[in-house]
Formats: sequence, structure tokens, C-alpha cells
Amino acid sequence: MRLLPIVFKRQLVSFASSPSTYLSVAVFLVLCAALGLHANHWMERNSSDLQAFFELHPWLYLLLIPILSTQLWADERDTSFADTMNTLPVTTVERVIGKFMAAWVVCGIALLLNIPLVIAVNYLGMADNLVITSQFVASWLLAGSYLSVGCFVCALAHQRLVILLLTLGLLSTVSGLSSILDALEHQAPLWVVDSLISLDPIFRFSMMDSGKLTLHDSLYFISMILAFLSATTITLNYKHS
Amino acid sequence: MIEISNLTKYLGKKYVISNFSFSAQVQECVGVFGESGAGKTTLLSLIAGAIKPTSGQINIQGFNTRTHSLQAKKAIGYQPQGGLSHPQMTIKNLLNFIAAIRGFRGAEKRSQVGMAAARLELLPMLNCPVGLLPLGVKRRVAIAQAILHSPSLLLLDEPTEGLCPAERLKFRGLIQSLTEDMTVIIASRHYGELADICTRALVIANGSLMADTSLSQLQRSSRHYRAVTLAADSPLDLLAMAVIPGVAGIEEDRDAPGTVTVLAMPGHSIFPSINALIAHRGWNITSLNLEPGRLDDVVHHLSQEASS
Repeated sequence: MRLLPIVFKRQLVSFASSPSTYLSVAVFLVLCAALGLHANHWMERNSSDLQAFFELHPWLYLLLIPILSTQLWADERDTSFADTMNTLPVTTVERVIGKFMAAWVVCGIALLLNIPLVIAVNYLGMADNLVITSQFVASWLLAGSYLSVGCFVCALAHQRLVILLLTLGLLSTVSGLSSILDALEHQAPLWVVDSLISLDPIFRFSMMDSGKLTLHDSLYFISMILAFLSATTITLNYKHS
Repeated sequence: MIEISNLTKYLGKKYVISNFSFSAQVQECVGVFGESGAGKTTLLSLIAGAIKPTSGQINIQGFNTRTHSLQAKKAIGYQPQGGLSHPQMTIKNLLNFIAAIRGFRGAEKRSQVGMAAARLELLPMLNCPVGLLPLGVKRRVAIAQAILHSPSLLLLDEPTEGLCPAERLKFRGLIQSLTEDMTVIIASRHYGELADICTRALVIANGSLMADTSLSQLQRSSRHYRAVTLAADSPLDLLAMAVIPGVAGIEEDRDAPGTVTVLAMPGHSIFPSINALIAHRGWNITSLNLEPGRLDDVVHHLSQEASS
């Protein structure tokens, strides 16, 4: 992992020099504020946390994550650069984790740009900062798990549009899993529905979003990230063989 | 330095490299010659570790590329065929990034990047985006990144393609200086350009090694070895040349009227006799060359032999 910081730094610079990063983060922030606060009537709820603001994040990440994912391996779409990278003494694990971490940091920065909202809540004098912190952590973990899916899609496909559509499709399915489970409730055996509910990231997110930052739910997201990053590494190693 | 034994690579059910074995030592400059699709690029990619072999062994400085791939990769510099490009990075950023991956930091990194860029005459354009540069410069960038860590084994894939004659001349000097410190393997279809750089030639056809010999030996196996090519303004008396002892045949150049190549039988030298004939007849000759042997002929012949 000695070369991981170099790959991470390079990917972060790549995100910083791409206009689509700024655009997608800006759209994410505007929609967070507009839908989370205005459409969900946060002020009228008189809540001490930002649940109304965060509960739409699983859907709003559908705009941010696929765009960040398409940029993850964008420079290696040039075959000469990809060939050269494959001949350098850097492991696939270092490349995958370095790129993923950079994208996750961008998501973290996008989330931190919502800090003025926290300040506003504190100014209004009704803030429960512990719950708000757990909501931020939950949202960041959810973004990480979504990104890991995007990373895996990048290992499977090469074209930007295919990556965008595949990631969007996969994440939409995940985000809409609860609706699918509702529909399955009377058709499928109970244990199947229960198993699927326990795997539903939105269910886990809503648990954390309500202020219950448990190790159990955090580990769920971390294990999901590790599983998809491992799958990405294995796929890339298989492609090079 | 590098030792390859029974290397085989299958793509699907078709083999692209078959049972390939050879070894090379320091200060050797090996030319890998073959026609388009012969397997030259695949061979270099296998040695560089960009792709993995189906079977066989590659040892670089004693490190097996399968079991000690990182150590082997540290000893290699690889220039990909189409040069090196990147959609965003400038030459400087790209070389800095690769130098960092190669383990250089701070002043040492700056010095290595500076030296490689200076050697390839890239200093005036260090801040240009690589993606916008012409192919010849991209190829120089690719060579610069390949040599910036002073590798023990340098792999060059079609390095002279897209270079102007002046650049080719400089490239020749560069390779000669690099060969003093490392093993250089050059894959190319432009055999003639590399004839006086390479110390040894490997001819590859259909993924198999057809010849592993010195350049001079390879030239000697050409039917044009010791042939005499002459051009004249007026028609030449071909019959007079045909009856010279040791002449194996005469070929007329369809592209250049008035130019003929007189082939010599093995072990015969016909140049003095032709010279004497020209003087005796008083022909107005515009050019007269003793051929060292045509490598493209030999490679083409070996390729046909492999496919038949």
C-alpha cells in the first residue's frame, strides 16, 4: 500500500480538474437544499436534527455517484496509458483503493459543504449535534457503498455512457428495493423478504439517519464497500490475465 | 538478464505466442522483427507484465514475472506502441506521476524527470498537455517515462514510427548510449532503420520464433546479399551482365525504370566484375551499390515459411 497515496493524490487532482465534478456537486447541493428543506417542510417539522434533509440522500446520490464513477477510470480509457500503468510496479489493489478513496473524499467534501445548514440549525437553537453528526456519517457511508458499486461497474464496462447508465440502473434498483419488497410481501416467503430487508441499504441508512449510529449498521456499509472493491480488484486482475 | 522459456499465450482458442524461448544479456540490443500481426507487441506486453502468459516462464534479473511481478516490473521500462497519451495531464505532470510510482521523491524525482526530458528533448514543451501533442512527441514522452528510472531492461515497441529522419538519427544515438547500461529490446517492422543499432535479431512469425541470430548473419541469408544495384540513364545490356560468372539473376525495379539489381550466387563476389563491365562499356551510371542483404526479404520469406 506504499503507492496508494500517489494514486489517491493523482485521482483527487483529476477530479479537481474536471468541470463535471463541480457541476455534479453543485446540482447535488442545490437539490439537497431545495428538496430536503423546502419540499420536505423541514422548518415546519420543528426537528432538532436534519432527518428531513438527509432522507432524500439515497435518491440524490443517484445524480452525484454515477458522474464521479465515470471519472474513476477515465484516464485509463486511453489504451497506451492503461498499458503503461499495467507495467508499473503498482498493484491493482492500490489503484482501486486509491481511486475509490479520492472519489469518497469528493463525496465527503460535497457533504461538508452543507455545514452552513448545521450552523443555521445551531443558530436557531434547536440542534442535536450528535444526531446530526451520525446523519452525516451515515450519508457518507451510504455514498461510499454506492461508489464501490460504481467502481465495480467501471471494471466491467469501458464506455462512459454504459458506466453511467449501469450505475444509475443498479443504484436506482437498490434505492427502490423497499418498494419492491413491499410488492413482494404477500407473494414471497417471509424469510426471503426478511433477508432482503436486512440487505436493503436504505433500511440501514434510515436506521442510522434517525440517529442510531450502531456498529452493526456501520459494518454493513463497510463490508459492502469491501465486497465491491474486492470484486473490482478480482475483475481487473482477471482482465489483465 | 532476461530469460524466457517456453512462453505461450492464448487469446481464446488461438495462440498468439507459441513456445517462445530466448535470453539476452546486458549491453545487448535485440531487434524483434516480424510482419504486422506476427506477435511482436504481445511478446513485449508479456515481458513488460501488461498481460500474463498462458504458460512458460519469464525471468528478469532472476525475478520470475509470475511470482515476483513487482520486483520484475521495477527492472523494466516499457514504451507502448502508439506513444503515451493522457486526456488531462501535461508532460511534466505525467512524468512526475510515473517517477513517483517508480519510487522517486523530492529533488531526486525532479532530477530524474529533468534528465529523461532533456534526453528526449522534451524540456521546451514540458507544460503542454500530452493529449494535444503530435504522435512523434507522444512517442518521445513514452520513451522518456520508460527510461526515467534507468531500467535494466528497456522494451521499445515501434519506437521510430512517426519520427522524422532527423529524429530517427538522434534516436539511433540515444539507443546506442542506452545499450551501454542496459538490455534493449526493440520490436519493429522497419528493419532497415535498426540494422546498425541492433546486435542481434529475433524473427517472429505467427507467434513463433523463426530465427535468433546476429544482424549480419540474417543479412547474409538474404538472396540480395552481395547483390549489386545500379541505375543508368540509358538502357543497360542485361545479357552482358547475366553472363558474368557468379551472377544468379537480374531483377528490374518496376518502380524505378533504369534500375536493376544483379543477384550474386552464394560465395561469389560480382561487384568487381560489374565494375569492370561498366568501365569497359562506358555506361553512364547514376548509382551503384553493393547490397548488404535485405532484412525485409528475409523476414517476409520466414513469415511465409511459418504460415505454409
